[in-house]
Parts: sequence; structure tokens; C-alpha cells
Amino acid sequence: MTLDAPAAAAFIAIAQVALALGCAPLLQGITKRLKARLQYRYGPSIWQPYRDLAKWWAKTPVESNTASALTGAAPVIVLGAMIAAVFIVPILALRSPLAGAGDLLVVVGLLALARFVLALAALDAGSAFGGMGASREVAIASLVEPGVLLSLAVVVAAAGTTDLAHIATLGVAAGPALFSPTLLLAAAAFGIVAIAETGHEPVDNPDTHLELTMIHEGMLLEASGRRLALLTLASQLKVVVIVGLFSAVFVPFGAMSEFTVPAAALGIGVAFAKLVAAACALGALDAGMAKMRILALPGLLGLSSLLALTAIAAHLWLPA
Amino acid sequence: MVPADIEWLATVSLSAAVLLSALGAVLALARVDHRAAMIAAAAACAACGIGGVAVLAGPIVELRFGVVLGYPLLDLRIDALSGAFLVALGAVGLAASVYGVGNHDAGRSRLDTVAYIVFLVSLGLVFGSASAFSFLFAWELMALSSAVLVVGPRPDRSMVRASYIYLAMTHLATAAIAIAFAICSAVAGSLDFADWVVSAGTFGGLTRDVVFLLILVGFGTKAGMIPLHIWLPRAHPVAPSHVSALMSGVMIKAGIYGFIRFGIDVLGAGPAWWGGVVLAIGAGSAVLGVLYALAEHDLKRLLAFHSVENIGIILLGVGVAMLGMTAGAQPLVVLGLAAALFHTLNHALFKALLFLGAGAVQAAAHTRDLNRLGGLARSMPVTALAFGLGAAAISGLPPLNGFASEWLVFQGLLTVGGDAGIDPVARFGGYVAVGALALTAALAVACFVKATGMTFLALPRTAEAAGAREVGRLMRGAMIGLAASCVALGVAAGPVGAVFAAVARDMTSTADSIPAAALVAPQTIGAYNPALLSVGLAALLAGVFAIARLGARPARLAPTWVCGILPEPAFEYTATSFSKPLRMFFEPILRPARELQVELHEGTPFPRRVSYRSEVDHLIESRVYGPVHRASIAFAQLARRLQQGTLQLYLAYIVGAVIVLLLVARR
Repeated sequence: MTLDAPAAAAFIAIAQVALALGCAPLLQGITKRLKARLQYRYGPSIWQPYRDLAKWWAKTPVESNTASALTGAAPVIVLGAMIAAVFIVPILALRSPLAGAGDLLVVVGLLALARFVLALAALDAGSAFGGMGASREVAIASLVEPGVLLSLAVVVAAAGTTDLAHIATLGVAAGPALFSPTLLLAAAAFGIVAIAETGHEPVDNPDTHLELTMIHEGMLLEASGRRLALLTLASQLKVVVIVGLFSAVFVPFGAMSEFTVPAAALGIGVAFAKLVAAACALGALDAGMAKMRILALPGLLGLSSLLALTAIAAHLWLPA
Repeated sequence: MVPADIEWLATVSLSAAVLLSALGAVLALARVDHRAAMIAAAAACAACGIGGVAVLAGPIVELRFGVVLGYPLLDLRIDALSGAFLVALGAVGLAASVYGVGNHDAGRSRLDTVAYIVFLVSLGLVFGSASAFSFLFAWELMALSSAVLVVGPRPDRSMVRASYIYLAMTHLATAAIAIAFAICSAVAGSLDFADWVVSAGTFGGLTRDVVFLLILVGFGTKAGMIPLHIWLPRAHPVAPSHVSALMSGVMIKAGIYGFIRFGIDVLGAGPAWWGGVVLAIGAGSAVLGVLYALAEHDLKRLLAFHSVENIGIILLGVGVAMLGMTAGAQPLVVLGLAAALFHTLNHALFKALLFLGAGAVQAAAHTRDLNRLGGLARSMPVTALAFGLGAAAISGLPPLNGFASEWLVFQGLLTVGGDAGIDPVARFGGYVAVGALALTAALAVACFVKATGMTFLALPRTAEAAGAREVGRLMRGAMIGLAASCVALGVAAGPVGAVFAAVARDMTSTADSIPAAALVAPQTIGAYNPALLSVGLAALLAGVFAIARLGARPARLAPTWVCGILPEPAFEYTATSFSKPLRMFFEPILRPARELQVELHEGTPFPRRVSYRSEVDHLIESRVYGPVHRASIAFAQLARRLQQGTLQLYLAYIVGAVIVLLLVARR
């Protein structure tokens, strides 16, 4: 059966969203555990993020008495936008769960929506740390976004479409020939900004509780109880979205191309393996690198845009 | 409706708009309450908007008034392109006029109300004019009436200075346009735009290039593109907010209208460098506009710099269309023009909304300085919600209207990059513009987090901000209406984009190469279904909200934790501190200068007063306009030597001039 059949579409939607929501906390657990092991610490269990979420879920939130209604609404919008992105990125199959709703530009737009609302909510309580986190987050994101779109533009130039499922299908059809030097440059460019976007070393330290070094955590400082659970789940899901984007564009192999039991099993297995591999890579980075000074970041993130532009120039002027 | 009905509706509503604005002018001149005139203006704008929508469906309405010596003073021919701009004028004008009725210091004087109505009428005439004389008349009327509104009845130094710079720049624009028109009418032998379209093919190559550059300078100045933008951030903030809304929302679009009308409709396909120049100016305006906005902490100046940014985004769409025309790629022309026209309408709506919001903040808190505001979301919830929606829309966030048109611009740029028929350098330029637009979009998010957060969230930073009260019903209504239209255009972006694509197709296609059904979606290289995404996102938000509510206990209220002492506004991040990382990232462009002064208590190390001042250097002003300004002053000093005030000297000048003339005539 083709992927566009109603039963197949429903299966992909349910399985992908369940996989994303189900394993997002696990990925964070794996990253943290690997980082600890590489630093000769024992580290928390890989299941600890689930326990944290359950604990926060049951707690009464404490809200600043000077906050506006945004503090309550923001977690819902941020998580909703992130789940919407999961519905658009083809992680499991060569088809988006909500096919036709959006392309890679829409995914970038949904991430920006989440960032906008979260940064505003961070300002709401009036603490300096929230302002600091929001200010740095939006500043870094403005250097990240050109890198993301330019590295994806390399692939758009080759594929002639911005539709992610279409790009993934063309990638699978190309086979090993997909890994051209141009594409590898673009993948490197995307990799750099993906680290920044997911908030890992050397851009941000996800484990820090030293206020002056926090970026993403600084924005969550005033959130508590169920709201903290929603926002944490959203940031864990963001890793799934970014890794899914990377996989759909640069390594689409293994995704479901037809609606059969073996293909579905393979698709779920490969998607899970890719996510775990990415979580391990982030853990290794966290353990192995020191955080860069914030003023040194334009160099690193600008490198991403430069690599992508080099790839585009190669695509335009070098014979294929 | 059948075509005849639509044509009837268009004619009737556009005529009604003319009559209602005449009524408004009479009411404003008569000694009655200024609100009566403003209500007439609102009705005229509503009629104009309806007429614009009707015209978009295809009919062309022709109206002529006041024929003097064979030249009609007002010669109107309203086609679909005019309609696209009349819709923006109608929507923004309606909201601004309703807001003006509710805003008590809006009708500051009779002259102001008259100028406001003349300004509205002149905008409509600019969009509808069919010949050079009528166009230039309306154009000057627009410039002068808006200058009256900028300077106001009780001007201070900054207002006078702003209006001088505005007048100087707007006349530079008019001069360039007048020369371009003179060339066109000389070559075509007619003042009628329709004749120019026909005879544009007979222009020589050099003539076309000169006309192109003249209209780029002329209309680009009015649009506020960099480097001709310097009047914009000065003039827009000092005008009353409902006038700022019209200036930023509609008047600068007259520049875009003129550029599309004469650069694309009249001149047609040009060499590739035309499109390349427009693309480069668009990208530069977008990035520099938003960077300068980030460095601002005056709410209205910040919004004015965002107009420069959005004009840049619109020009990117126009540049895409021009490159498409050069390459003969009709779908690309339609895509680029549809993106530009759609973003023009969207920017009109959300920028007007934001200026009205800024006006409401100023009316309530008596300041526009972001570092003196704060906490208004709790005292002004409706204004906060409307401003927040406008901020999200201008930041290009899905599923709002700003995202839909930016998506089209992205698609256009990526298609330029992928089109093998276009010069590789221009294709590479298309990709660089993708990067520039991505940077712009992300910086806009940063800037509007700052503007919204500093104004409406956390604790009020001053007593004025703490004492703010929500504005009146009409002002809120105007803002809600504009916010609702931003959401509606975002959700219905598919059909709306298709309408603009049809306008672009009818304007540029020589043959019926594209069937009527093939509109925006099939011409793009991506997939975005705004209605599906909106419904999906709404369902997800409702679902997450419902699950988060299950068995939830209400939040416990407590003061914000600030290390054990009571929170104070001084602990909050300010607008200046919020944008600090970006000021430092972009130091080579912004060149921030900071000045820190610490006064100590006598004989102690303890500070008594700390003052901090930070400003950025506007490179274009200091490096381009500065030398030009100094050179012209120096030239004027030299020229003064000719003026000695003695009668004999002037007689000698006259004798000399006569001799020179005789010698010239003798040859």
C-alpha cells in the first residue's frame, strides 16, 4: 500500500508523534548519562527525565505575583508549536504526518514561534535572569537562522523543492550518490547550527545552574510545576525535530517507503537509532567541549553560513 | 456576482469614497466637532476598501474631473494593481480614522483634520492616477499634506527639523520622478501612462537605464529604502499615531506602487542588473533596517526602522519578479510580484496596528521610551494582546499573515537560485538574499520580543507606566480590527495569495501562457497550506491546553525570587541591556559608543549616581549624508560672495549676462 492511503497516513501520524513524545525525554537521559560517564561520573539514570516530568506534573506551580496571563499561556503555545513541527518533519517515513501542511520553511517558522513566546514569557516575571536568558537566546538564534536556511538551501537547490518528504524521497532514490561533497559541506553547516539550536556545548550548557552562563535554562528559571514540565518536554522535543530535519534532508535512508509491517518496523527502528545516535553525539560534545565566550559565537555560527554559501557556489559553478 | 455587478459595485463605492471625503473636508472646514469629519473619513475609507476589493476582481474603473486646457486635473484609471493598494488604504485608513475619533488629541486643530483628509484623498489619487500630470499633482499633495501633519500645530525643534529633512528628501524624490516622467512623455509623445506602456519598447537602451535609475531613486526615497531612508525614522515618530500608521502603512507603499507601475508595468523586462540592484537594495534595507531598529528604545522610532526593513522584504519580491522578466520566466514574475503585493498589504495592516498600539501606550503612559515603560499588560490587556499579535505577525511567525508573504518571498528567492535560465551570479545573489532574509526574520523576532516585553511585561519602570489605564473603546476597536485582519489573512493566505497572483499575471503576461486556475501554489517549489496548518495548530493548542488543565491546581502567587530581597523594577532587563549582545555581535556595522559616568560620594568608593548612555553610529548618515551636507554648506558660503547687496554689482551681473547671451545667440 502506498503511504498516501488513509490507513498508512493515520499510522504514520500516530506512530511518529508517539515515538517523538515517547522518546524525547529518553534522548535527554542518554545525553546526560553519556556526558557523566565520559567525565568519570556515574550520572543519573537514563530514565531520570521521565521521573522529573512526572514530579513536576504533580506539583502546584508558583507564579510571580506581578506576571501577566502570558506566563500561564506560554507553555501551552511553546509545546503546541513544537508538536506541530513534529507533524511536519518526516522522521519515520517518506511522508509527513500532516502532508501538505508545510515545508522546511514552516518548520523553521514554528521553531521561531516557540522561541518568540518563550522569550517573552521569560521577561514576564521581571527577574534579571529571565531577561538575560531571553536576550542571549534571541541574539544567538539570529545568527543560527541564516545558517539553517542556507544549509537547507543547498539541498533545495539540488532537489528543486522545499517539501521535506519530497526531498527525503529524492535522497533515498539517489542512494550513496547523495553524499556529494556539496551535500557534506551543507551537512557540516547544518550540524554547527543544530548544536546551537538544541542548546548544547559549546554554545549553551544544558546542565548549568550558574545563572550567568545560562541561556535556555535561564528562560525556564521562573517556570515551575506543570508549566516547567510542558516547557521541558518542548525543549526535549526540539531535539527530535532538529534531528528529524537533519535526517530527512541529509540521511533519509531507512525511512518507511511503503506501508507494510517490515517497512514499518524498519522505519521505527531506524528512526529510533538515528535519534539515539544524535543524543550520544550531543553527550560526547557536552563532555568534550568547553562553553565558548558569547562574543566568540558569531565566528562559529558565521562559519556555518559561510560553509553553506561555499556549498552553494560549488553547486552553481562546479560541474556536477 | 456577475462581472457587470462587480463593475457597478466598484464604480459606486469608489465614487462614494470621493464624495464622502469631500463631505469630510467640508465638515473639517466648518466649525463643527472634528469627530464628524473623522467619521466621514472613516466611511470614505471603508468605501475605498470595498471599491479596491471589487477592482481586484478585474473591472477597470475610469473617472475624470476638472479638465483644464485639455488636461484633466484628476484623471483616474483604477485597475487591479491600483486595487491592491486601495485595499490597504481602505483598511488602514478606516482603522486610523476610527482610532482618531476616539483619540482626543487627534484633532489638534482644524488645519490638522483638513490635512488628514487631504492626505487620505491624495493617497487614493496617487494609486488611481492614469496620467503624469494627475499623478504628480496627487504626489505633491500627499507630500505636503503629510508634512503639515508631521510638523503639527505646536512644533518643537525636533518636529521642525524632522519636517525639513522630510520635505528635502521628498522633493528630491519628486524631482527624480518628474525628470523620469518628462523623458517618458517626450519619447511617447503623451502624458498618458497607457501610451507609455505601448511605446516603452521604442525607448533606447540608455534611455531605459536612465529612466529606471530615476524611478528607483524617486520611488525608493518615498518607500524609505536604504540609503535614501533617512527621513523616515525622523518623520514617522513625531506625527500623531494614527497619521504614523497611515504614513508607515500606506504612504511609503506609494513608493512601491510607483516602482511596480513604472519599473515593471511601463518599462517591462530590462537587463539583469536591474533585478540584481533591486535585490541587493532589498537585502541591504531589510538587514540594516532591523539592526537599527534593535538599537532603538523609542517605540515609534523602532517601528519606523522596521518599515525600512519591510520595504526591503517587499523589494526582494520585486527583484525576484524583475529577474524573472529578464529571463522570460513568467511563473517567477508572478511569484515575485504576488509576494511583494501580499507583503505590502500585510505590512500595511500590522505596521498600522503596531503604530496605533504605540499611540495607545503613549496616551496611557505619556512616554514612548521602552526603558521607562513596563507592566502594561495588566493595566491594558486589550492593547497588549493586539500589539502582541501585531508583533508576532511582523516577526513572520506562522500561521499569521507576515509568515505567509515572507514564505512567498523565500520561495521566490529559492526559485531564482534554482532557475538555470538566470545568470549564475544573480542566482548566487538569490541565495545570499535567502541568508539575509533569514537573518532579518530572526532579528525581527529579537526586536519584537524586546519591544513587546519591555512595554507590556514585568514591573512598570516608572510611575507614569504604573498609572496607565486602558484606552477608550474606539481606539481598542481599531486595534482589534487590525489584529483580527492579520489573523484572517494568515489563515486565508491561500486564496488571498491567489488573488495577488492573478493581479500579477494580468499585469505582466503578454500571452495567456498561464491558465487562470494555476495560481500561487503550483508556481512555488514548496508546500504550505495555511488553512490546514492553522486548524492543526489550533487543535494542538486546544489539546495541550485541555490536558494541562486535567486535575491542575491553580498557581500559587509569590513575589519573583531576586535572592531574598523584594523585587524592584531596577532589577529588570531594560531595552538597552536586552539588545546588548546583538549590538556587540554587529559591532562593525552599528559601532556602538557607550558612556558610563559614576559620581561618588565625597571621599568614599560608593557611587552616588551612575549614568549610562549608549548610542549607535548610523554609518550612512555619518559617511554619506555628512560629507554631502558639509559640501553643500561650503558651496553656499562660496555662492554668498556673489551677493554683496550693492546695486552696481547687480547691474554689472545683468550687463554681463546680456553680453554672454548675445554672444551665444550670435553663433
